[in-house]
Amino acid sequence: MGARPLIALRPRNRELLYLLPVGILTGTGFASVYIARQSFVSWGSLGYALFFLALYVAAHFVARFAVPAADPYLLPMTGVLTAIGVTEIYRLGPDDAFKQGLWIVVGVGLFALALIGLRRDYRLLENYKYLFGIAAIGLLFLPRVPGLGTTVNGARLWVRVGPVQFQPGEFAKIFLIVFLAAYLREKRETLAQARLKDVGPLLLIWGGCMLTLVSSNDLGSALLYYGIFLSMLYVATARLSFVVVGIALFVAGGIGAYQKVPHVKERVTIWLHPWTTHTVYCPLTGTKTLRQDCQSYQLVKSLYSIANGHYGGTGLGKGTFNTTSGKPLIPYINTDFIYSALAQEIGLIGAAALLLVFMLFVARGMKVALQADDGFSKLLAAGLTFGFALQTFIIVGGVLRVIPLTGITLPFVSYGGSSVVANFVLLAGLLLVSHRANSQ
Amino acid sequence: MLASTQVETTLLALKIAFLVLLYLFIWRIVRSAARDLRLPQESMILGPQQAAAAGLIPVRQSRELGRLVVLASPALGEGDEIVLDTQSVTFGRGRTNDIPLAEDEYASTRHARVEPRRDGIWLEDIGSTNGTFVNGIRLTRERRLAPGDVVRIGETDLRFET
Repeated sequence: MGARPLIALRPRNRELLYLLPVGILTGTGFASVYIARQSFVSWGSLGYALFFLALYVAAHFVARFAVPAADPYLLPMTGVLTAIGVTEIYRLGPDDAFKQGLWIVVGVGLFALALIGLRRDYRLLENYKYLFGIAAIGLLFLPRVPGLGTTVNGARLWVRVGPVQFQPGEFAKIFLIVFLAAYLREKRETLAQARLKDVGPLLLIWGGCMLTLVSSNDLGSALLYYGIFLSMLYVATARLSFVVVGIALFVAGGIGAYQKVPHVKERVTIWLHPWTTHTVYCPLTGTKTLRQDCQSYQLVKSLYSIANGHYGGTGLGKGTFNTTSGKPLIPYINTDFIYSALAQEIGLIGAAALLLVFMLFVARGMKVALQADDGFSKLLAAGLTFGFALQTFIIVGGVLRVIPLTGITLPFVSYGGSSVVANFVLLAGLLLVSHRANSQ
Repeated sequence: MLASTQVETTLLALKIAFLVLLYLFIWRIVRSAARDLRLPQESMILGPQQAAAAGLIPVRQSRELGRLVVLASPALGEGDEIVLDTQSVTFGRGRTNDIPLAEDEYASTRHARVEPRRDGIWLEDIGSTNGTFVNGIRLTRERRLAPGDVVRIGETDLRFET
């Protein structure tokens, strides 16, 4: 036995301790936004901070009851991410922040339900694996149903039921991970031999997902699902050849899509050549303009926003997001482009910290996967963590022009109810696996 | 209302406070998370003794709930007894198992787990290649052991007795 740490806090007490900065960070951020806007400190900023703290302390007590031995860092990190997100959303539009706050409450509620409902043995989910697989495909098809689905920004991803709009794809992601974890655990020995008979159902499910996604123009999610699928296949079989073949297939598919799907071609062009010196045809207005004034307008303005932040940032509440006439510079800034808004206001130093928190979250998630001792738990934790990591990479990479930009939310930070709620369910899954692994 | 220079100073202070706090949070997590990476493998996982020490599991008196008698094995001595108390026991070829079966070539690295529960002793296959058998029937799900059951893990046969 090695040396014991001098202060051995129980995991849940440690969690409670780390929740404190969440409250202080929210308070500081909101105070800054208030002062920049109105030149006086309002008690409202403190109200938001207290509300946040109370919400997370409530989540903490649920965890204390349901998963006492689970990883103590995941919940505070989630708290910090949502706090930064809500602060920036509030700064961009107070009404949206109120709605986002409500969604976080719903998210914590579902998180609590998942923890309490599955605290004895979440592995019973394994018995319903095909139900999860079918539900995932059903959710992906839901926006295609006439009368239910609505098209936003060229992609048909939304479902409207009365006043509530949501993106079923966010939940499909989690269902798919549960299905894959259960299916791959059962078949992993036979899959490792790579016979067509056993790979069949997997390819079928995967093909179904891909078709739905390409037909709804949601390229970011297509990449995300494919990445999750490949990584879980690798975790289950430990065969690098699957990954190599998978990436080759993806590249081939990408080239095909580039040539056949105009939407894809446009995204790649915007990525490689956002600026032009001569005028090109602009499909939006039907006239000839510079590309930075047309298709790549959003991306270019977002890059200017990041550049304007320098190292230290302008300070929360002091960034420039509107033209002098008061019109917003960047469309979808609080969903797809929240990272560039944050990079302007908290600078490179702050944005790096944000990415560090994401990295730490992923590191803890991978550790949960390492500690888990049955195949299903291991695959579930690895899949959930990898999905989270890849989603962050796709959107931040897209905004920073590392990869072609595809619209997808930044987990816990972006404005968007479905995304926040689904990610809280993801967190619940990780905590359940972690608790089981640690209490054995 | 604050004067504009005061506003600027306050905002600068808040900005610095926000960033410092964020990095402090990250630094603390990295530090305490790195600590459990340095500890030996067993203590990376909060084992039953530590969990009991931390008050997570009510401490019960160690009592024998049953034993597994080795009938035949390339790894264990014939007639040896594995006493089962309130802790679970893992079997497998890997050295990290409670009962390592290094010489049993048909056992997987992590093969099976015997787990005492409120209602008896349960046997579970934890992802073995060749399967775990009770009285010659391959386990498809976890199963409660009855006295006299013969458990086969790789080429190791064990009889459960109470």
